[in-house]
Amino acid sequence: MTKFLLISEDSEKEKVVKEVFHADEVITCTEETMIFDILKVEEPDIILVDGDIESLDLKPLCRKIKQFPVVILLILGNKEHNKDVTHNVNLFIKTPIDKKLLSATVDSSLRTRQSLLKMAKSNQELAASLYQLNVLYNTSSQLAGSLDKDKLIQIMIEGIEKSLNFELSCTLIFRSEREPVLIINSLYKISDRLLEALKLRAILSYKSLLSDPPFDIKIGNLKIEKNIKHNIQEYDFSILRFDNMFAPISLNDEFFGFTEIYREKPFSTEDATVFQTLVQQVTIPLQSASFTQELKATNRKLQKLERLKSEFISIVSHELRTPLTAIKNAMDIILSGKAGEMTENIEKFVSMGKRNAIRLSGIINDLLDISKIEAGKMDFKFELMHVEPVIEYVKTNLTEVAKEKNLTINYVSSGEDVEVYADSNRLEQVLTNLVSNAIKFTPEAGEIEISSKVVNARELQYDNCFEEDIKKLQGNYLQVCVEDHGIGIERKDLNHVFDKFAQIENSLSRKVGGSGLGLPIARQLMESHNGAIWCDSEINKGSKFYFVIPIANDKSNFTMIRKQLVQKARSNGTTVAVIKIKSTNEVIENLLKENNLLSKTYMANSLIEHEGIMTTLTIILMEGDIPSAEFLKKKIDSVVAEKEDLYGKCDIMYSYEIEGDTHEKDSYSR
Amino acid sequence: MKKILIVDDEQDIVESLKFVLEVSGFVCYTAFNGEDGLKLAKEIMPDLIILDVMMPKINGYKISRLLKYDAKYKDIPIIMVTARSQLEDKAIGEETGVNEYITKPFELDQIVSKVEEYLGKAEEN
Repeated sequence: MTKFLLISEDSEKEKVVKEVFHADEVITCTEETMIFDILKVEEPDIILVDGDIESLDLKPLCRKIKQFPVVILLILGNKEHNKDVTHNVNLFIKTPIDKKLLSATVDSSLRTRQSLLKMAKSNQELAASLYQLNVLYNTSSQLAGSLDKDKLIQIMIEGIEKSLNFELSCTLIFRSEREPVLIINSLYKISDRLLEALKLRAILSYKSLLSDPPFDIKIGNLKIEKNIKHNIQEYDFSILRFDNMFAPISLNDEFFGFTEIYREKPFSTEDATVFQTLVQQVTIPLQSASFTQELKATNRKLQKLERLKSEFISIVSHELRTPLTAIKNAMDIILSGKAGEMTENIEKFVSMGKRNAIRLSGIINDLLDISKIEAGKMDFKFELMHVEPVIEYVKTNLTEVAKEKNLTINYVSSGEDVEVYADSNRLEQVLTNLVSNAIKFTPEAGEIEISSKVVNARELQYDNCFEEDIKKLQGNYLQVCVEDHGIGIERKDLNHVFDKFAQIENSLSRKVGGSGLGLPIARQLMESHNGAIWCDSEINKGSKFYFVIPIANDKSNFTMIRKQLVQKARSNGTTVAVIKIKSTNEVIENLLKENNLLSKTYMANSLIEHEGIMTTLTIILMEGDIPSAEFLKKKIDSVVAEKEDLYGKCDIMYSYEIEGDTHEKDSYSR
Repeated sequence: MKKILIVDDEQDIVESLKFVLEVSGFVCYTAFNGEDGLKLAKEIMPDLIILDVMMPKINGYKISRLLKYDAKYKDIPIIMVTARSQLEDKAIGEETGVNEYITKPFELDQIVSKVEEYLGKAEEN
């Protein structure tokens, strides 16, 4: 049935129109608001407008009507303005109305309108699918960019909302293993009883979805998160009669939750596909997210354990030291004879006790060292120094012990005057360990040889098992060798002597005691010096232990110092300051850039004026050959010493150390 | 006779120090926590104090600061004894006016000779 709306005050025209069409198809109206109400409610197919109508201004009226999907037919009158009106209508006929012409015109225009309407409808559908596709695409790219569970669910719900325009959605997820959350997104407020119903429904869905639910959800432990768009209205049970769709969020056997949406307008099959696709898309990122979460948690646990272990060792060691000191003190008093006379036997056994207390104290120190090194908390005081005095010192120190076994310690130096950048205490520790070992393993009346010389990394000779440690060396090094004439070490064990707590089978090590940590500590200390340690041995002839440290200010060594700079800056994670006086120091700036380190350039004066800056710096790099370098050094030194939190943390290096220029000036470092 | 005050919460260490110092001819007073140590220091005006760092109530640094900033006691030499060997600790020690710094574990002879450096051998007094 075709519906007509006639806008005319002329009863003659009304009569004609009603004659041409069926009378009950025609509504007549002349009141503007009424016209639009009819347009909205009745949705007429054709509007007939009388051009001679007096009470209405036709031009704007027709323009407004054109926005509705309706054919406008103007019955041309005699009035002048009719010409303007014709632009805003689809068709017009002249008066007096020719009944046949009117009927034919209406007929053809109706057919045109039908096809136009169809086209518009399919256009609309196409646009809608395109929009949904677009949402799908956007949602999936957003999902790919996140590893946060909550964020992923939020993106999914937003995607569904955009493409399907639901009134209400309920999504159940587990924030953690035992923390179920029901996320409700609603257009309007939700009544209390509806909320209870939704909760119950979610719990029932959960229970029916999983044959063996891993966790029991109850009304009491189900957390609710509501996102209400408008507060103007409230939904009640009636919303449960809306069309709804439900989809579990799960991948293979893994269940993440589910989502359910309600919409007044029924869902189409396409809608269902879009819904399923969107829900499926979230599952893979969700799985990655839960893997990442697990990984992070495990990582945190491991870090905590590692820290606890270090702390434990450190605390226990400190606690052990105190009573040990008391034991040693007591035995010292007895042995000094001040507490009274003692028999030979008393002296023998108390000495035995003291010897073992000293040994235990050495083991505790080793434990402390290794825990410090492993925690990265070992303090080093690097400075430019000669190695010879350290060797002499260790030799003198251990001569007494060697004499007990009637051993001699010889030291042969190649005599080259070179400096190394090292911590003398640590070097002494390494040497003492090597020489003590040599003393332990060399039989009575034997000899121990210490030698030192300058070598190039390319000339080094070593067993293949040390390749990893030594191949990274380059440039010139000072090499120290400690040689004993003991039982030797089997080739297969060569590398293992540097392993923690390694006790080589059938060797003397168990018999001669020790913490089993001396060599691993030595290896770590050498690594911190950018050097290396290794050994060579022949069964029943003896072993040679070598270590090398890079020679300071050696041009071929500046790569090592650079490495040191970079390592230091990395481990502290703060800014490196480059102090400039004259030229731009490109070498350094490029080096820092290549390693992604933060650096800032200061003029010497500004640094002195703004002392506060220094507290933020890790390393201060100075152009070494500037005239005021000495003054600056002193100034920085005094500032750094004043700030307690900076003490021992800020290194001052000269640029020529990095560039490899050999200068006469001494390097300065804390 | 020269008076030495030993303050340390480790009683056995205090005992052994007291023994060797008394054998060497010094008079020793002892306290096992910071509070008593400070009180005793003001009471007996010792010629030298041997001080532990880690103690309940008042730690060694605090005691040394309180004494060194007081004109009445600032000339009493203080030998700090501690298990800690970190650089920053030494810095605090120096800042608070500690005269000597000995890290545990120490040799008893080491302490005796340090004390004699400050006070001279007991027999000579």
